Amino acid sequence: MTNKRLGKVIITILGLIILLLLPLVVKNPYWQHLFIMGLVNSVLGMTFSMIFCCAGMVNLGIGAFFAIGAYASTMLVIMGNWSFWLALPLAVIITGIIALAFGFVSIRNPGVPFVLMTIIFAEIVTQMTGQIQLFGGWGGFIMIPRPDSIGPIEFKTKLPYYYLILSLFLLIVLFLKGIYTSRIGRAWKAISLSPHLAETIGINVYRYRVLAFVIASSAAGLVGSFYAHYSQTIAPASFSGFFSILVQLYPILGGINFYILGPTLGAGIMTFIPEYLRITKEIEPIITGLLLLAIIIFFPGGILGSLINFPHLRLTVISNRLKEIRAWLSIIKSR
Amino acid sequence: MANLEVKKVTKYFGGLAAIQDIDLDVFDSEIMGLIGPNGAGKTTLFNIISGFYPLTSGNIMFKGEDITGLRADVIAKKGIARTFQLTTLFLRATVFDNVFIGFHMHYRQAGWKALFHIPAVKKEELIIKQKVKELLNITGLTQLKDELAINLPHGYQRILGVCIALSCNPKLLLLDEPLTGMDPTEKLVMVDLIKKIRIRGITIVVVEHDMKAVMRLCDRIIVLNHGKKIAEGLPEEIIHNREVIEAYLGREDGEMDVV
Repeated sequence: MTNKRLGKVIITILGLIILLLLPLVVKNPYWQHLFIMGLVNSVLGMTFSMIFCCAGMVNLGIGAFFAIGAYASTMLVIMGNWSFWLALPLAVIITGIIALAFGFVSIRNPGVPFVLMTIIFAEIVTQMTGQIQLFGGWGGFIMIPRPDSIGPIEFKTKLPYYYLILSLFLLIVLFLKGIYTSRIGRAWKAISLSPHLAETIGINVYRYRVLAFVIASSAAGLVGSFYAHYSQTIAPASFSGFFSILVQLYPILGGINFYILGPTLGAGIMTFIPEYLRITKEIEPIITGLLLLAIIIFFPGGILGSLINFPHLRLTVISNRLKEIRAWLSIIKSR
Repeated sequence: MANLEVKKVTKYFGGLAAIQDIDLDVFDSEIMGLIGPNGAGKTTLFNIISGFYPLTSGNIMFKGEDITGLRADVIAKKGIARTFQLTTLFLRATVFDNVFIGFHMHYRQAGWKALFHIPAVKKEELIIKQKVKELLNITGLTQLKDELAINLPHGYQRILGVCIALSCNPKLLLLDEPLTGMDPTEKLVMVDLIKKIRIRGITIVVVEHDMKAVMRLCDRIIVLNHGKKIAEGLPEEIIHNREVIEAYLGREDGEMDVV
């Protein structure tokens, strides 16, 4: 076993232990809530980086698929009297089917048209859930039932919710790890590095892009279903366009080339920092936007990318970027 | 037996004819040269054969099968591999990974099995890794296998491009200017490599501007000018063809200086 691999194994085990013990050490329910939301957000971040790194496409409609998962599961439980444990997988399937239909049409133009279509799709979902009374209207659903208790485990405190989302998170990580290291993952790598060359080695680029999109959207639907039954209220406003834009910050902050660790780190940071600084909801978008800009300009590799490619952190690079910006500003001023 | 038959292929970009009524036959295990001044339509023809551009009219047969209008990846699966004029590689991947990714079509195990990395899949991957090593050995890239493709010198990048094309196990290889930007030693290495590939029974069509290399390498040459075929024959015949000389002397840098 090489040193690098040994290091990876140690980090994985340490991370796992920390994740398992976290809510047992930190007993404050508010903090536990943040841990849960951190895990939800990291899965959403992973779906963004998956579509970006595997298919080379930017998806600004993740919120829509998160919402579809949440609404599908809620309606199955409330109107169909289903058990949460059955509604969860079915919500994933429903999200997957809708993603397949949307991807089938939109991925024919994977560039800018796709980005625009995802934004529009997110808006359509928000409007539909708001306007149509069947979907709860603008008020959404309240008092969504908690998951049925399994044996002695009752979903009354944050603790069981934490372990539920942790197991979903680990399931998704294992799944992604398996698929990224398989030949499907290699085909995705080929597509993201050079779609033309990928075609000449016999990869059906369109089909693999749709596959990545469907898998990523289903994962968003999965955590959406969990989120609905965890927060017990859902409303169209909470899945608005800004939500989808916030999601892309996680992988970009953590490191866009680290499919799993990047979004987790980014989501961890972005879930805690605003809360810790007691920043109110009103100015959060401003901070988020500035942060996004700063990362893209100064640390295009994100935190992990900058740590690994240390030269990126050198002051000369930063000062060069500042000079470029000053030059741009002077051009703008002179106009 | 004809390996590739191009029959009356025409391609219009808007109102402009990039290629008009081109006929050509490529026979099994021959090296055919495709030459002509810049803008003659050589690369366009490659793009049509390999499925990147739809053609306006005509037919393309490969091994007796009609492949007209098929998608690029389907044509690749039929056994036509190509390289690009501008070096096109998986730049941010290692040399080994470049070729490993290239073996995409060789997997026989189902995709969902690959997800769980069951023993049969692992065994298959080991076999393919062995094949990658062999291919790197043949092309002389073994020492560089852990380098990122982007860090390779230009000559090696071109060789890696051919190597990726070979990883598809093609029956026909289309090489688009394999010698561009190479120094004389690198050119020798590449010419040797192309000859080696032919010995393995792979048919080759090569577009190239370096006339010395084309004359040394090719069994037969076809000359295009303004999207039309103006000559076809053995290298010696082509050198003395009036029309070909005129087509080339019309250009300032007159690349037919070997004559």
